[in-house]
Amino acid sequence: MESAYENKGERDLRLLQLRFIGKILAGFTHESKNYIAIVKESAGLIGDMIQLGKNSGDDQESYLEIIHSIEEQIEKATNLFRYLNRFSHRMDTELCTFNVNETLEELIALITRFANQKKISLEKNFQQDIPSITNNPSLLQLLVFHFLEEQLTGLAKDSSLMLETSFSNGSVLVKIIARGNYQEAESEKGLTNNESHVYIIDQLRGTIAKENDLISISLPVSLS
Amino acid sequence: MKQNDIRVLVIDDEKDFANTLAQRLKLRNMKVNTAYDGEQALIKLKGEEQDVVVLDLKMPGMHGMEVLQEIKKTYPNMQVIVLTGHGNDADEEEVKRLGGFSFLNKPADIDTLEYKIKAAFKEMVDRTLSENTFADNNQ
Repeated sequence: MESAYENKGERDLRLLQLRFIGKILAGFTHESKNYIAIVKESAGLIGDMIQLGKNSGDDQESYLEIIHSIEEQIEKATNLFRYLNRFSHRMDTELCTFNVNETLEELIALITRFANQKKISLEKNFQQDIPSITNNPSLLQLLVFHFLEEQLTGLAKDSSLMLETSFSNGSVLVKIIARGNYQEAESEKGLTNNESHVYIIDQLRGTIAKENDLISISLPVSLS
Repeated sequence: MKQNDIRVLVIDDEKDFANTLAQRLKLRNMKVNTAYDGEQALIKLKGEEQDVVVLDLKMPGMHGMEVLQEIKKTYPNMQVIVLTGHGNDADEEEVKRLGGFSFLNKPADIDTLEYKIKAAFKEMVDRTLSENTFADNNQ
């Protein structure tokens, strides 16, 4: 029989996951709309130049510039689609073997927009040779997202957030380091709290340590 | 007034978008400037007033709603058209409440945008004329 802790933990977890997915999708669709809007305006500009502009020999160079801009936007959009697709597939199975760096890189790509909005730089410093771990990648992304979101809410503009990974004593470490001033900020939801962090880290069989501007998440290489 | 008398400021943090849209509006004989965030836009407006502002909502630093509020407070006659990829019904309501002229979703049709800019400009000119007439009659 499930305990009250597990019942409440699971219920809160589902809410957090839904909210997380909603936020990621909102950011993704906004970003995609921007790329499409630029492609649309660029294509429209070529049409305008042909229909409304005065044809001259200089036009060819302008056309090439616009075409290059369209190609750039399509490449950016394709990368974003790839990240969202990988993010979606993280939820296919609860347990799998994955590379923590790739999982975090994907998360960063999907939330950089939120950091840019607040003029906070999101940086990474990943140890390249960390071993793959067997765990739940989607839950790890959720946990890291919530810590990053808390920091993004609290930090003043022009601050920075560094995401670091390393391998030590048989565990993979994920560190979130905040650099900058904190401003008083209203908590947006009240859903994320220490209790939910504890529940998630219990599911991941890891540990969390918080110290001033540093949050460390330690994860075992294997759950066995 | 002719269309090439219309002064338009496009405010959008997506530089490629702002610049391309500005070029398209210039080809439609409007005088167009660009700004890439709210703070920069307000500085530009101090230097040169505009007739119509085309404003994005989600931008780094100052949110578009704050920019709209500031513009309507300082330049009550200036028209603001919100053009955003992020807007929802609540945002549209808020834009209306703050005195925005129109709310469009990205990507918008250029003919629709051109029509809205002209309509906004016409409304501004008509309002100014009627204010002036009213002031003259009261003298």
